[in-house]
Amino acid sequence: MTTIVLENNDYKKEIKQKTAKPLLWIGLVSIVMFFAGLTSAVIVSKGTAVWESIQIPSAFAISTVFILLSSLTFYLGENSLKNNNIARAKIFILATLILGLLFSITQYLAWTELYKNGVVWAGSESSAAGSYFYALTALHLLHLLGGLISLLVVSFKSMKERYNEENLLGVQLSSTYWHFLTALWVYLYLFLIFIA
Amino acid sequence: MSATHHHHEEQDFLFKYIFSQDHKMISKQFLITGFLMGFIGMVMSTLFRLQLGFPGESFWAIDFFLGSWAENGVMAPDKYLALVTMHGTIMVFFLLTAGLSGTFSNLLIPLQIGARDMASGFLNMLSYWFFFVSSVIMLISLGVEGGAASAGWTIYPPLSALPQAIPGSGLGMTLWLVAMAIFIASSLLGSLNYIVTILNLRTKGMTMTRLPLTIWAFLVTAILGVLSFPVLLSAALLLIFDRSFGTSFYLSDIYIGGQVLEHSGGSPILFEHLFWFLGHPEVYIVLLPALGITSEIVSTMSRKPIFGYRAMVTSILAIAFLSVIVWGHHMFVTGMNPFLGAVFTFTTLLIAIPSAVKVFNYITTLWKGNIIFSPAMLFSIGLVSTFISGGVTGLILGDSALDINIHDTYFVVGHFHIVMGLSAIFGMFAGVYHWFPKMFGRMMNNTLGFFHFWITIVCAYGVFFPMHFLGLAGVPRRYYTNSEFPLFENMIDINELVTWFAIVAAFAQLLFVFNFFYSALRGPRSSQNPWRANSLEWTAPVEHIHGNWPGEIPEVHRWAYDYSKVDENGEYISGEDFISQVVPLGPNEKDGGH
Repeated sequence: MTTIVLENNDYKKEIKQKTAKPLLWIGLVSIVMFFAGLTSAVIVSKGTAVWESIQIPSAFAISTVFILLSSLTFYLGENSLKNNNIARAKIFILATLILGLLFSITQYLAWTELYKNGVVWAGSESSAAGSYFYALTALHLLHLLGGLISLLVVSFKSMKERYNEENLLGVQLSSTYWHFLTALWVYLYLFLIFIA
Repeated sequence: MSATHHHHEEQDFLFKYIFSQDHKMISKQFLITGFLMGFIGMVMSTLFRLQLGFPGESFWAIDFFLGSWAENGVMAPDKYLALVTMHGTIMVFFLLTAGLSGTFSNLLIPLQIGARDMASGFLNMLSYWFFFVSSVIMLISLGVEGGAASAGWTIYPPLSALPQAIPGSGLGMTLWLVAMAIFIASSLLGSLNYIVTILNLRTKGMTMTRLPLTIWAFLVTAILGVLSFPVLLSAALLLIFDRSFGTSFYLSDIYIGGQVLEHSGGSPILFEHLFWFLGHPEVYIVLLPALGITSEIVSTMSRKPIFGYRAMVTSILAIAFLSVIVWGHHMFVTGMNPFLGAVFTFTTLLIAIPSAVKVFNYITTLWKGNIIFSPAMLFSIGLVSTFISGGVTGLILGDSALDINIHDTYFVVGHFHIVMGLSAIFGMFAGVYHWFPKMFGRMMNNTLGFFHFWITIVCAYGVFFPMHFLGLAGVPRRYYTNSEFPLFENMIDINELVTWFAIVAAFAQLLFVFNFFYSALRGPRSSQNPWRANSLEWTAPVEHIHGNWPGEIPEVHRWAYDYSKVDENGEYISGEDFISQVVPLGPNEKDGGH
């Protein structure tokens, strides 16, 4: 076969600019369906099996505050970039990273609190209700790890001043995913309080 | 230009054929891998058909393929279960989901909508490689201790949740779950790309109502995938937790060998809910691409516009919507509240309406058409046939009152093999025969194609039609042998007949395999538009190039179905019986899609 080469081979960059955000959004839809599957599993289990109600660890309230704050700082950081205030953006993005880490640590503390209250993940002492508690929160944290990795990249790049008002795509993708994780956590938290 | 030229010349084998990010190459990778898996799945089915047709008899073929799994050429009962499970898994997921969508969505989406490539070539490459790794793990699971997963392709707990339950519940089951988790990732990455590419990268003039129906089908298939596969992933994860970490999501108080297990509080029915929330849309994930391909081929080969374009789009959407709210019809015998059963019966029977619209439109498109019976057209018409004959029995199974009597019998096996298995594989064959020139720049042999079609359709009906009678007589599915039951003694002849048809059908596929590889290497070279079709892929050069079109992407001015369009004097508008989508509308001409 002969090889014909395009005059203009820049189409890949153009495609990326056009499609990166919708790709992320539809990816988020699939994560929504994943957690919809899990939370509806809780509802089905609650209806069919022995169900014990579980005391919500207080640490979850603290972690909720952390993640809400982190979304706020990310929003402010992105806004500063849009206004070309790079110095301010650096601070906010770094603050987001720290708040994200604090959230993760508090989640761990909440699990130890659960464990102390006698709620175990598996084995003969476990109940489906307790296992769901761990599974839902851990799977959220697993998704958040991805968010933290993207935040690390964004923090690093913003320290190197790679972003400006014209070049924002990476930050925007990362922040969309982060806000999504915040919303997902709020949903799970309310779900655990009111349904589970 | 010279710089890029050199770059492409030097592009080495590894990145051109293995780690390609070009949608056309990825499409071929999906096709070859999918067909390879399908071939393995078919050999498995032929082998267990030998056991079902001639229970307990010794066969050279069983000995040759199964070795230690079959002492003296007789298949061991647990291996029979493993083969049935793996046959279903491979055919449904690896051949008809990844193989079908992966091949044709990848090949046709950019080419038919006028895009340079997929939204993300990298994710597309990952999608293929996840599929490949998943296929390899699934095949490896055949060889592990205890054998492959044996709980049926639906892997219901507790059989699948307790590693000590049966030999196939051990490592084989674990690998099944790992392979499926990777498969789901592959499928999701593919679907993301398909949706975003269709929504964001259409060329100028390519409005949604000018899209070929193939693209509509691929779009809705991908949306169904994004909505349902994550739920299967959540089901599989909970199962992994139960198996390997000692949780009790699906397990209630349970004894094995007189021993009480420490599980309590879970519900195996939960798994069925989660599984079938994917499982039913999965039927349409398998079927819709085949229906889309058929729309395109039936129109092109009848030299007529597709009848009822908008009705076709609407029925695809309606089928997709309904498919998400019918999963309970797989669970009528789980002790479901009869009222809920009635609701699921109602939603299930509703699917007959959009399905009938589609069938009606295919037949009306064929009506008085200038039909060209190419192998692709024959397989498309074959699909219409199987879609009707399999769909009709769906009405029986969808009715809870009737389903309870024939649940888990061969009636079900006959039904879904015809409506889902045959229809989808016929669509896939049709697609390969039709777009082979686009993939390989060469033509397949028609005569071999005719033999392939006629032997396949006769034998396929020969295999699956009698199964309905077996089912009505109460013969249960998944049993190693039915000869042990006096009740089924007079059924053995039917089973023998079915097996003979299966053997001939399997050998007929060798015609296709030969035709495929011979034509890819030695077939006559294709012209740019061998079927004289309208859609955009035939405006791209026969040689595959990155970016698909040299120079600008063509602009679209009309829908894809202007076949045999005449002016007020009854003359062909373009002087020929087709008008490419890139030809601007004449002064008094109306666009068919609007």
